[in-house]
Amino acid sequence: MIIFRRSLHYSGVCQSSGSPFKLYPNYKFKCGLEIHTQLKTKYKLFSLSETSFNADPNSKISYFDIGLPGAQPKLNPEALLLALKAASALNCQISLQSKFDRKHYFYRDQPLGYQVTQYYHPLAANGHVELNKFDVNGDVSKVIGIEQIQIEQDTGKLHYDKFDGVIQVDYNRSNTPLIEVITKPDFENLLQVEVFLKNYQTLMRHMGVCSGNLETGAIRVDVNLSVNGFPRVEMKNLASHGEIQEALKSEYSRQVSLLKENKGDQIVQETRGFDGKQTYSQRLKENSVDYRYMPDSELPVINLDKSIAEEIRRILPRTPTQIMAELLSTYQLEKKYAKYIIDHPELLKYYYKVCELVLQDQGIKTNVVNNWFFHEFLGTFTKLDMKVNIVILPAHKLSELIFAVSSGDISLTSARLLLKQLILEPNTSDKSIKELIEFYELGAPSDISATDLDKAVTEVCEAVLLESASSTKSDKKGKKVAHKIKFLIGMAMRKTQGRIKPDVLQKKFEELIGKQ
Amino acid sequence: MVMGMRTSMSMSMHMRMSRRGLTAVRAYGTLTNKSCDRTNSVIWRCDDSDSDSVGSGSGVLSGTSFIVKDNIATKVGYTTAASKSLHDYQSPFDATVVRLLRHQGSKLVGKANLDEFGMGSSTTNSMFGPTINPKYDNEDRIAGGSSGGSAAAVAADMASFSLGTDTGGSVRLPASYCGVVGFKPTYGRISRWGVIPYAQTLDTVGILSKDVDIVEKVYEVLNQYDEKDPTCMTTKVRNNIVSTAKGQLTIGIPEQFIIEELDQDTKIAWELTLHKLVQLGHSLKVVSIPSIKKSLSTYYTLATAEAASNLSRYDGIRYGYKSDNNNEDDTIVSSRCESFGQEVQRRIILGNYTLSSESGDHYLKAAQVRQELVQEFNQVFKLPHPLLENELKLNNCDVLVSPTALSKPPTLKEYDEKNEENFLNSYLNDILTVPASLAGLPTISIPINGTGIQFMTQYGDDSILFSIARDVLHS
Repeated sequence: MIIFRRSLHYSGVCQSSGSPFKLYPNYKFKCGLEIHTQLKTKYKLFSLSETSFNADPNSKISYFDIGLPGAQPKLNPEALLLALKAASALNCQISLQSKFDRKHYFYRDQPLGYQVTQYYHPLAANGHVELNKFDVNGDVSKVIGIEQIQIEQDTGKLHYDKFDGVIQVDYNRSNTPLIEVITKPDFENLLQVEVFLKNYQTLMRHMGVCSGNLETGAIRVDVNLSVNGFPRVEMKNLASHGEIQEALKSEYSRQVSLLKENKGDQIVQETRGFDGKQTYSQRLKENSVDYRYMPDSELPVINLDKSIAEEIRRILPRTPTQIMAELLSTYQLEKKYAKYIIDHPELLKYYYKVCELVLQDQGIKTNVVNNWFFHEFLGTFTKLDMKVNIVILPAHKLSELIFAVSSGDISLTSARLLLKQLILEPNTSDKSIKELIEFYELGAPSDISATDLDKAVTEVCEAVLLESASSTKSDKKGKKVAHKIKFLIGMAMRKTQGRIKPDVLQKKFEELIGKQ
Repeated sequence: MVMGMRTSMSMSMHMRMSRRGLTAVRAYGTLTNKSCDRTNSVIWRCDDSDSDSVGSGSGVLSGTSFIVKDNIATKVGYTTAASKSLHDYQSPFDATVVRLLRHQGSKLVGKANLDEFGMGSSTTNSMFGPTINPKYDNEDRIAGGSSGGSAAAVAADMASFSLGTDTGGSVRLPASYCGVVGFKPTYGRISRWGVIPYAQTLDTVGILSKDVDIVEKVYEVLNQYDEKDPTCMTTKVRNNIVSTAKGQLTIGIPEQFIIEELDQDTKIAWELTLHKLVQLGHSLKVVSIPSIKKSLSTYYTLATAEAASNLSRYDGIRYGYKSDNNNEDDTIVSSRCESFGQEVQRRIILGNYTLSSESGDHYLKAAQVRQELVQEFNQVFKLPHPLLENELKLNNCDVLVSPTALSKPPTLKEYDEKNEENFLNSYLNDILTVPASLAGLPTISIPINGTGIQFMTQYGDDSILFSIARDVLHS
């Protein structure tokens, strides 16, 4: 490993005001984002080494990734496909001809001395994202323009070992495919930034373009802010939504303070860091690197067919916002539930499957399915403190269970018991629901005549009444009676192991109490 | 492609000087092995015991031996590009060309000296010291460059053939100076995987030998698509190429090559060649390619810009020379300043100036001039260009002919003096060779009357060159 002495330069530290944050109508907040998004490909952008996260340092590198002399790049078509999906999902115009360029700067994590990116001819441009009430993460009405999308390489990672005074370089991330999405400076407030970014994460995850995590660095955001048309200040390497919000607040307050004191000339185009409390100057524009862009003549031009935009649209799944709109209207879900399953695509798929199987049948309503899915099915996992595992109970089985209850083959109580059993003992799951009902003798007694059944029910209910005789008699008020009946039904159900449906029991109790 | 132990960072950081299967002939320009010949053409000799150097024993090249320019990666020995920045670099992989040759039974016997990273036309800009031209017994004349070691080695019979790289004449000029055959293929014909780039829109791998038949044989082995090289000509393009048939040809003489700087002997050799061509039944005509006049400045704009970019990776962090200066902020600068030679630093600075935002868009403008040159060459040839459409044909030439060099090689002393006077003097040598490089045309230089005469053909029309060269050499 290489050893460097580390010397961090902090300069121009500014204090943020202690008062609570607010936007002033006279100081216009104008913000744009640059979002670096790692593409979820198997292999790297220009080599056949695998992409990875947290693998052993320098275990996922090939010749080109570390810039060995004479090693050449080869474009990974999967990266191109994912980038095109993102471009399409962000409503961009796809360029039929795009090219790679080299952006030169020296840094230890940059093995080529340049980054392969797209500067002169990016993959896509002129897109937009509409924020609306069907968004998964919020309810804001706003259109955000997308300037362009370019494909580029990620760099290696530096580890500063302060104790030993050593910088270690891990090139596993080097040459991982990224797209950089540059928005127009359309954000007018912090909420728009937050909602946009959260929706962006959901969208990329949903399209299979990116894992969508800020925490792992799969998505990294640079923000730029300009107040009242004063020079643009950029803030890089913000690691979370919280940090983005705080950095913007701090920077806005700093600029507003300067403007209030007529010190607008002190706002200069620069890159600022954020230390958790305040932003500090990192690099002024005049000190910035001249990237000496040039076409990368080693990589061929990407020529796309005229029909590409249409073809990509065809294979693209619906956006979360579209799905949300459908879940809220057609499926009458509450937004929080809809959001939950959109955030968990495998549950969404499962939910749709159950709906498809159950709703086509006469008489079962969406709210019954929703209740079953969220309260009974997912709720049981929660109650058992288990991770949701849909493999245990395939969608068709849950559907059968819902059917069994609605057609009266089994009581809700028994169904709950069975569900719990299925989740705890997945081994029994090779049996059908019908078989299981018989196996556990949970079915409504169907082999005895109505008169015999009525007789049996009467016996049970009378026994229950007797047991609780003292308390029942004293009840006079109807409300209390109703409450009592629920208690009695509960007792009766326990005695019958839930095999008699509660409405039958209720009727019987009312009948018996009425007689008394 | 994922590398094993060898390339884990700790290993590549401390790539040790294992001398496995190789004899270091010279290091840092000091003689360490007295048995080495006076030409200083071969900088690493491969040992017989090294299995990595020996071919399969059978194949169309069995019984032959070869030497490769040291900017071509070989697993055996070192790959230094004659630069201190790569003084201890051992490649974990073979260049495709090396693999193909060994597969056909040829034996790798050494690595040849060159101008650092291919930058020069003298083979004097090398950390191993200058290569001396073996053609002249009693005086130290330069071998030409940048593939001077490759040319001198075959001239001194150290191998059946050698590989060089030709970016602006780097195979043809030393071939001319050393009196051997030097062939530069169409750009993209021969794989560059494992070839250290200098200016990759111009870089080609060339072949040198005393015997044109061997050059042709080697070309046939190397002339194939390589999926590892993204600039390699695709099989589809290869299949679409129409070749000039043997027979009575129309030979063009570009008037822009008839220049004052040609010395008397060179003119005589050119005239002799024209005479032979007529005797062989071909017809001659003078043609005009005006952009040739702009080609030298275009070439140096493009090549230096690409070089500045390509050499950015030599920062001393992962491999190669690393400065003792451990300061976080300038270790890269120190490593580069201490390890690149003067000419390389000069070209990096020129190239970075060209690319800087202050200088405007010189690179793109030069690329446009280059396109004009491509068009003008194309208009002269009878055959269609495999990569161009809607061609305008103004002439019907099959082949173009010109001298390869202005004169015979200067002595080391003359060369140094002239270069000190003005370093641009050394760039002038490229005037005859650069146009074909810019247009990507296949070219062969053959020794005629003590100097090199080159033949150029349409893009992709490489094969006719060998029969022309053979006819002229044997007549």
